[in-house]
Amino acid sequence: MAEGLALHSALALYAAAFGLAWMSLRTESGLQSGYTAAASLFGGALLLHTLSLALRWQAHGHGPFTTMHEILSSNLWSLALVFALAGWGVREVRATLWAVSPVLLVMAIWMLLADARPGHMPPTYATPLLYLHTLVGKLFLGLLLVAVALGAVPWLRRTPWGARRLARWPDDRRFDELAHRFSAFAFVCETLMLIVGAVWAQDAWGRYWAWDPLESWAFVTWVALAATLHARIALRPTPAAHGLWLALVFAIAFLTFFGVPFISTAPHKGAV
Amino acid sequence: MRHGRIVAHFGSPRTTLAGLALLAVVVLAGSSSGGMVWPLTAVLALLSLNLCAALVVHPAFRRQLPLLTAHLALLALVVLAAVGRLCALDGRFELTQGVPFDGRLIDQSRGPLHQERLQRLSFRHDGFEIDYAAGRKRGATRNSVTWVDADGAARSDVIGDHRPLVLEGHRIYTSPNKGFAPVMRWEPRQGEPVVGAVHLPSYPMHELRQSREWTLPDGRAVWVMLQFDEVLIDPQAAAAFRLPGEHRLVVRVGEVRAELAAGDRLDLDGGTLVYDGLRTWMGYRVSYDPTLAWLLAASLLAALSLALHYALKFFGQAATAPRSLTGVIDG
Repeated sequence: MAEGLALHSALALYAAAFGLAWMSLRTESGLQSGYTAAASLFGGALLLHTLSLALRWQAHGHGPFTTMHEILSSNLWSLALVFALAGWGVREVRATLWAVSPVLLVMAIWMLLADARPGHMPPTYATPLLYLHTLVGKLFLGLLLVAVALGAVPWLRRTPWGARRLARWPDDRRFDELAHRFSAFAFVCETLMLIVGAVWAQDAWGRYWAWDPLESWAFVTWVALAATLHARIALRPTPAAHGLWLALVFAIAFLTFFGVPFISTAPHKGAV
Repeated sequence: MRHGRIVAHFGSPRTTLAGLALLAVVVLAGSSSGGMVWPLTAVLALLSLNLCAALVVHPAFRRQLPLLTAHLALLALVVLAAVGRLCALDGRFELTQGVPFDGRLIDQSRGPLHQERLQRLSFRHDGFEIDYAAGRKRGATRNSVTWVDADGAARSDVIGDHRPLVLEGHRIYTSPNKGFAPVMRWEPRQGEPVVGAVHLPSYPMHELRQSREWTLPDGRAVWVMLQFDEVLIDPQAAAAFRLPGEHRLVVRVGEVRAELAAGDRLDLDGGTLVYDGLRTWMGYRVSYDPTLAWLLAASLLAALSLALHYALKFFGQAATAPRSLTGVIDG
């Protein structure tokens, strides 16, 4: 009851923050007060979301790892947290809340449609590797989302509407450089996620890598991000094109995280 | 001169990009159709050569030590994975409670350079406990094993889920495959008795199919079926795997049919069949890969070197100081 109330209040605050972020973007000069209010609402949503996850953990005796509802909720929370921390440290990130809102809204709506009943913790989850794997995985996806949000600015500026609205923001090269930095550390976290996952698979199933659908797609995500980092040197794409590369990698990562584990019939299928 | 141009071309980041694209295609095509060993080997070899050429033609690459270390660690990872597969063994076997492992596997895949040492492994499966949550959702497995170590001392441990038994580099894991094993003894009129355990299909997955055939030394098939009335693992509540208290073993040999309790004897042509009692069996997986620790070390070295490279690049003294920003973002 309290968990549901906290979660729904958090979702309402997220929605309000996103609405304000888009409204601020619509004014040509940009409303400082709008961004500040959006950031405050986003922070409040994050606090309530943290409370709802803590209450659920306490009620069911295990973390949000077992059902689609739990995985979407915990990833919505971690993406929001990584974005908030990045925004706290880097001013440019703060102004791109509008860019992450479509992804977070899709996850929130999907979560509301998913069965909220608790799941069963498989015996293979009784290991500290679960927490380590989850931590670096969430960091990877969060940092990549921040990179995508930064990369969306040069992209939006290619449109007459965006060029007018974002004219006073720092130039494209600055956003491109920041997007590159966040994607580089996302790559390190993804590498660590694959390593910890392999150690876990060795102990849980007696093999460290078996090219099951989830492992194959996770590897392809890693290859796609490695290619994006190399492409920046080899092809010197424009900031807008680099932003598109990052968006494509994020789409593959999103599919790997939330699509493949739930459609695969192979043993390594996450929460099913 | 022309040679140098070829090496430069082959070591370029554009070639790396092409190799990475090819790698993604091979993995996606191979994981859906199976059998991607050779295409994968070819693409990884191409990328490895690309890296070696890049080391020759890009001096800047050699000057960035953490970046160089990360790439060399990736190269080592590829070589180690290949060596590991050549020397590896992956197999499956089943053991009856109280019976030592005899080195025989039900199925296996082994690398061409694998040296057979399974016969030297000796351990005994002493039974297991498995928890179930409501809905027959499997929980923790605690599987007792005993063995004699290299010094001749008797050792015992409890393995299961994340805890394999490691003997001479072989990692032995429990599996979800387990069940009941009626122990039968055939006492021929002449000759030595033969004892065998019939591993009935995995329980509770195949609880309605608890029957199997056992072959006598003279070639006759003995069909056995385990019969009991009690609910061993209640689907509505938390439970644990256990042997049935009251049970009967239905035995059919040709036209003869009998229901036996533990200790009962059945006289047949040429001898007597004795039902000694009911035990459990556990399905195990065994894997051997001498490169596991090195693979972990190489992959961690790659990841941490890369982290160091980016930290130095973005936050080191040489990194560009953040420019002062103006406009809507400044508070």
